[in-house]
Amino acid sequence: MNQRTTRRRSVFAMIALLALIGVFVVRLVDIQVVRADELNAKSLQARSTTSQILGTRGQIVDANGEVLAQSVLRWDIALSPKKAGEFERDGVTIPLKQTEAELGALVGLSGDAVAKIISDALAADPKSDFAYVVKGVDAATLEKIDKLGIPWVVPQRIASRTYPDGAVAGNLIGFVGSDGKAQAGLERSQQKCLAAKDGEESYQTDAVDGVAIPGSTVQKASAKDGGTLKLTIDSDLQFSVQQILAAQAQATGAAWGTVVVQEVKTGKLVAVADYPTVDPNNVNGTADADRGSRAFQASYEPGSTFKALTAASAMDAGVANPLSQVVAPYRIIFPNGANINDSERHGDEDLTLTGVLIESSNTGMSQIGALMTDDQRYDYYKKFGLGATSEVGFPAEDTGILHKPGTDAWDNQTKYATMFGQGLTTTAVQMASVYQTIANGGVRMPVQLVEGCTAPDGTVSHVPSTQGTRVVSAAAAKSDSDILEMVYQKAWLSKIWNIPGYRIASKTGTAQMPDGNGGYSHGYLVSVAGFAPADDPQYVVSVSLADPVNNNTSAASAPIFRDVMSQVLKKYRVVPSGAPAPDLPADW
Amino acid sequence: MSDSLARAPYVPVWSSSAIPAAAPEPPAPAPAPRIRIAPAPSPRATRRTRPRMFYAITACAGIAVIFIVKLLLSVAISEGAYETATLETANKNLTRAAQTATESLDRVRSPQYLAANAAALGMVSNTHPVYLRLSDGAVLGQPQRADGSGASSGALVPNSLVTGAPLVTQQPAPGAAPAPTAAGATDTAAAATAATPDPAAPPEPTALPTPVTH
Repeated sequence: MNQRTTRRRSVFAMIALLALIGVFVVRLVDIQVVRADELNAKSLQARSTTSQILGTRGQIVDANGEVLAQSVLRWDIALSPKKAGEFERDGVTIPLKQTEAELGALVGLSGDAVAKIISDALAADPKSDFAYVVKGVDAATLEKIDKLGIPWVVPQRIASRTYPDGAVAGNLIGFVGSDGKAQAGLERSQQKCLAAKDGEESYQTDAVDGVAIPGSTVQKASAKDGGTLKLTIDSDLQFSVQQILAAQAQATGAAWGTVVVQEVKTGKLVAVADYPTVDPNNVNGTADADRGSRAFQASYEPGSTFKALTAASAMDAGVANPLSQVVAPYRIIFPNGANINDSERHGDEDLTLTGVLIESSNTGMSQIGALMTDDQRYDYYKKFGLGATSEVGFPAEDTGILHKPGTDAWDNQTKYATMFGQGLTTTAVQMASVYQTIANGGVRMPVQLVEGCTAPDGTVSHVPSTQGTRVVSAAAAKSDSDILEMVYQKAWLSKIWNIPGYRIASKTGTAQMPDGNGGYSHGYLVSVAGFAPADDPQYVVSVSLADPVNNNTSAASAPIFRDVMSQVLKKYRVVPSGAPAPDLPADW
Repeated sequence: MSDSLARAPYVPVWSSSAIPAAAPEPPAPAPAPRIRIAPAPSPRATRRTRPRMFYAITACAGIAVIFIVKLLLSVAISEGAYETATLETANKNLTRAAQTATESLDRVRSPQYLAANAAALGMVSNTHPVYLRLSDGAVLGQPQRADGSGASSGALVPNSLVTGAPLVTQQPAPGAAPAPTAAGATDTAAAATAATPDPAAPPEPTALPTPVTH
């Protein structure tokens, strides 16, 4: 009996033990196998910290490597309203009011303003744990705030963008919003080159002092820096050009203006100035409409500067030469009913083609232009790059308006008006490109604004094409250049735009501006385009001023042309011309 | 041989079976086991204990050494972790300082600041370029007096970064402390003057030194 009891007991004990072991095994399997991943992740999360590795957005540099745009670190200063109160610093208790005043003084706010941030946040939510004091302070300010040692103030690191040269090329570079998104200009169109990718890493930290446990760092994604975007722009020249343009635009009361400087042999834009120009460091200081680049984004009727194109086309087509003779009356009615007149009353003049450009006669130009067919002229316009965006691909770049002959828009008046730059529109960059073609012996080079994008690993991409296309023959281009030299020497502005020692080819334009209702307003767009030195063309300068109310003629834009051109010649050490220009008769 | 027989009882079973096997089979395999077995038992028993002891001590010592080395290594690594953390903080601070310095350098080398300084020193730009050719002393171009017709004011092309930066002509003389002016010295509440903008001495938005009134 006793023995049986003992055996039964041991059997019970055994079963109980097995059951207990079974429970443990089940639990063990559950923890170690079934929920292992979940629990591991949970424990890791409790100990580990994930931090972002900031990728740096690429720089924008000018042709000489001067930095025009770069990324810098800034800090948003936030505080915890619910924890705001007195704290102890070096054994001294600092009252809240003093802290508010100290913090406010560093970020440019009054103590009361800081107090208001705290009380407003608490009024909205009594448990509020987060409110911004100020956004985007620099490292120097952050250091001072750190020194205050306020436990309830938290700085948050952000990547910000700064433009060391301010408004220099601000029209081209554009800007990046406070959210880090590119909003305008090259910042936007070259996003692919400049954009960086943030990485992420996590590591386990010590519970006491937050020091990373060695060997626990796991890089989940590596950061990728953006590429460096190199422009063809020269920042010093760009500054001078903007300065000259702004001074004259203000003096003449112009609504806006543009200057384009292009290298003849390569098609590189070395300066593209707009007035007004945005300072990308202070975007709100500029009206919304002035934040882009009108040189690319606004087309206008170019007016008489366009006559150089018609003359070059006619000479290339073989229907005219610099000495071709026309009788230019004040007004002429063509068989199709088109009514063309010159800007000033005059009797019939016996002009050569050279004389037509010197006098800027619309009636003379229309007669010579009419020697070509409409389709012939249209083909020349297309080959000169009109009616299409340039190779630059600027954001929201304007194509200009170019009607096709035979369509309703190409009416009887337009047929003739297009010969002297009305009835079609061009951008300032397109006009510069037309003069580049004439200066470069009739070969149009692709317009370049970006030289290339250098990735952090040294590979270069975004390199533009340098393949030129022949538009007119070298002889036609040379004859056109000779005519334009006569214009420079003999036109009514010859005293104003004179740069002694250099041979220059140039032409003025005074175009009526549309009133927005299909007619013309009283405002004029005055322009000058030209290149120098005419014996070996190096640089094209094209100037436009819109509605200069104090001086409504191209005399308003001529000083800009002179100052910019002389600055360009100085800057690039262009040697003055030796031989004088060949003389061409203006009349017969 | 006699020795081996005498100790036969101490020898394990397999060896006793080996001995009888030797008698019926005189060929080659027979002598080999005998030679092996015969000297073995008595010295083996004594020898075995010593190597075991030696191995145990070696193993234990090895483990101890490994533990100590591991401990030291851990200590060194965690020391290193703190050092790394300190250096990383230092690196961060230095990067910040470098950035601050670079930014202020970029500010003062901006064309706006340079042009404003040049203008303040009385320099004007000449719009008539002239060159002197060194090889023959020829003058290229037509020299003309600089009339300063070119735009010189830096405000035409704004740069909000250099707003308020003192020009070279406004810098305090070397050695002179950027002390407040006489008016500022008499005014005890410096904050009060900053609150009411004084056209002669505008408050500096940045940390740049206050220009001395001239």
